[in-house]
Amino acid sequence: MSTPSLTDSGLADGAAIVTGGSGGIGRAIVQILAAAGMNVVFTYRGNARAAGELVAACPAGKVTSEAVDIRDSAACAALAEKVFDRFERIDLLVNNAGVIRDNPLAALQDDDIKTVIDTNVIGTFNMARAVAPFMVSKRRGRIVNISSVAGEKGGRGQTNYAASKGAINAFTRSLAVELAPRNITVNAVAPGVIETEMSRTVRELAADQINSRILLRRVGQPEEIAHAVWFLASRYASYITGQVLHVDGGFKME
Amino acid sequence: MSNITKEEIQAIYPKVAATIADALACDEDKVKPDASLINDLGAESIDFLDIVFRLERAFKVKIPRGKLVEDARGSLTEAQFESGGVVTEAGVARLKEFLNEVPADRFKTPLKTAEIPRLFTVETFAKMVLRQQKAAPPA
Repeated sequence: MSTPSLTDSGLADGAAIVTGGSGGIGRAIVQILAAAGMNVVFTYRGNARAAGELVAACPAGKVTSEAVDIRDSAACAALAEKVFDRFERIDLLVNNAGVIRDNPLAALQDDDIKTVIDTNVIGTFNMARAVAPFMVSKRRGRIVNISSVAGEKGGRGQTNYAASKGAINAFTRSLAVELAPRNITVNAVAPGVIETEMSRTVRELAADQINSRILLRRVGQPEEIAHAVWFLASRYASYITGQVLHVDGGFKME
Repeated sequence: MSNITKEEIQAIYPKVAATIADALACDEDKVKPDASLINDLGAESIDFLDIVFRLERAFKVKIPRGKLVEDARGSLTEAQFESGGVVTEAGVARLKEFLNEVPADRFKTPLKTAEIPRLFTVETFAKMVLRQQKAAPPA
């Protein structure tokens, strides 16, 4: 029996697409994948400055940014094509881009519902559909969808966001079934309350309440989500598919 | 359809056969022109996705998803082509014309719509590539 080795994630020189790379969690995911030796292409929509800063903060030549609106299926298809033409492989897709528009149901505007569903759900469909043929033809690949604790745990003012994340969980399980015959795993990571710009309002409004309901008594850091994504992308997770991994300090259990 | 010649099919056939053999990870000598992809070569629905994708890249053509089934229906409306998941008489006649490379005895009636892909042969895919090449020649 050979000695177990835990030093090779199997990710070096692979190609990854990460959507929404300029946000807090996205940035941490891009950085850890680049540190693992992957060639990472991340998308961003509005914040070109943050995207540029992230590229500059990563090992030279390993990370590039693309301004892509993932709600546009043709743009997603073109991105997958471009990444494959450049690296001749797409090993990993991280569907991370997401938006939040919290409000009680009665106060939600049409656009609050549409924007959240279109970005979080349709965007995930668009990117997964764009990369799947490339992974299918190579008979290997990993897809990691970023969900949320809200996908399973009710939260006031989050009907739109929760519905979008519940959809991602269901999407993850069904796509895992579809792609398993071609050696492609599909999993989700469900963050709890993470210290990012996106969660700032909720953290400020209900800091005590939140901390008292998290078993580990603190909010999470973006890197703690990125580590879970790294694990699911790595060869150590080769036998895991169709799962939603909650990385929430025990928030869901409480 | 009639503007696709035997010579044209023969010219691209080796590359089509090699592409299909690659996608299905099977021996190329099993990939005969009249082999049914599902019945003879064991293709599943995910394999069709892969085959179309590989043909697109090998021949630099675009093949919209569902194109084959859409072309198969021709000018018939959905109601004229099928009823309750079964292909109508007019629909079967149209299919026999469109899939004239498929031996006639494989058209069992009643023919369920879901069973149409079972008729598709290696040559069916060669013809599809040629149709798309003619519709939009590579730049």
